[in-house]
Amino acid sequence: MTKWNLREIVLMAILGVVFAVIYLFFFTVGTGITNLLTPFGLGPFGYEVIFGIWFIVSIITAYIIRKPGAALISETIAGGVQVLLGSPAGPMLIVSAFIQGLGAEAAFAATKYRNYSKGVLVAAGVGAALASFVWGLYHSGYIALSLPLLSSMLIVRVISGALIAGLLGKWITERLADTGVLRSYALGKEWKKKREHKAS
Amino acid sequence: MLTSINPTMKAFAVLIPALLLAFTFDPLTPFIYLVFTVAVTFFTGEVAFKRWILIVSPFLLLAASFAWMTMLHPGGAFSGGDVLFSLWSFQVTTESFRAGISLGLRSLSFAALSLLFILTTDSTKFMLSLMQQCKLPPKLTFGILAGYRFLPTFRYELQVLRQAHRIRGVGRARGVKERMHQFRRYAIPLLANAIRKAERVALAMESKGFTGETDRTHYHEMTIQTRDWVFVIVFVAMFFVSVFLSYQLGFLNIFGKQF
Repeated sequence: MTKWNLREIVLMAILGVVFAVIYLFFFTVGTGITNLLTPFGLGPFGYEVIFGIWFIVSIITAYIIRKPGAALISETIAGGVQVLLGSPAGPMLIVSAFIQGLGAEAAFAATKYRNYSKGVLVAAGVGAALASFVWGLYHSGYIALSLPLLSSMLIVRVISGALIAGLLGKWITERLADTGVLRSYALGKEWKKKREHKAS
Repeated sequence: MLTSINPTMKAFAVLIPALLLAFTFDPLTPFIYLVFTVAVTFFTGEVAFKRWILIVSPFLLLAASFAWMTMLHPGGAFSGGDVLFSLWSFQVTTESFRAGISLGLRSLSFAALSLLFILTTDSTKFMLSLMQQCKLPPKLTFGILAGYRFLPTFRYELQVLRQAHRIRGVGRARGVKERMHQFRRYAIPLLANAIRKAERVALAMESKGFTGETDRTHYHEMTIQTRDWVFVIVFVAMFFVSVFLSYQLGFLNIFGKQF
């Protein structure tokens, strides 16, 4: 954290707060889908299909700031702020968020924080999905479920992580870069260079 | 009494038992703990029953849904025993029934523990206590608190955006494609505004002489007292009491292994 400037830290904090609200909203969306699926004994799949949304702040923040810890800390903040907002999941959410953040962070760490291509962003989404699934085996007791059901849950969650967190996260961040508000952060600077290159 | 416990200690008091409860797969252990948590919640008389039941009711449904899924699709270690009843092509056995009830009760006791924390904790105090007791960097703490304070502003901005769209004749979105466009029209400006605010807050903090050093003084001192430790110890000890009780009654099951 010593290499971070205050502007980056505050940006990360505020993104964490904004996405905490979005995360809480999607919890109710997931509950809605769950109620539809419950009669078939597949209730919790309601959350699996949209699970990627809960990793998105990791991808967005890491893509903008490009420093070690961005994915992990931003996700943990989003988890913590949900507790402040009164999420019924309580303090455990901080632990869950931390583990999801670790999964996303691993993908960026594997490239030594140098590569932020589409593939790496998608890998971060997948990493978060895998980490959260392992956590779910223990914490939510998924381990008591049958293997075919578990593997289909895992596949759905990984796809959701790749599409919603990886691709949608990338898209949102780039539309933000287009507006010019990211001028003073790593992504904004790269964007400016690209534009100058195009113009010349 | 619950409101005056140090928030960080209270967070640990509900976290540790929840982490431990995840090891048990019998119905009795989480049930005893659930009863204990609910008893503590109402014994101190600081939580209104009406409010509590309102928040907990969606979780009843969720727990039932999860229990039902486990009964229908149990894993190898949980599918033994006699067949209780069958439905469509599924067979529910005594052991899968037990595991399902256990997981349902477990998520209910998680919810009860969380509510005990959420309904009796002040958000600002929790953040300050995290900074003072858990050494969360002040830069991060005050950044989060500033963002938290902005939330009502975001709602106002959304209203302004909506009105601005309407006055320019942008109607309600129909169909998937229009919805996607509408999502972009709202989400991007709102996020861009949030980022601008972050920049302004950072500048304001710096110009007011905020260095983010950790040896600062605090206006609100958060302290840990003996009763905070007692609170944590009672909550953890109660987990072992429920494990012991369910062992004595022959219910205890840890990760599919019967004791």
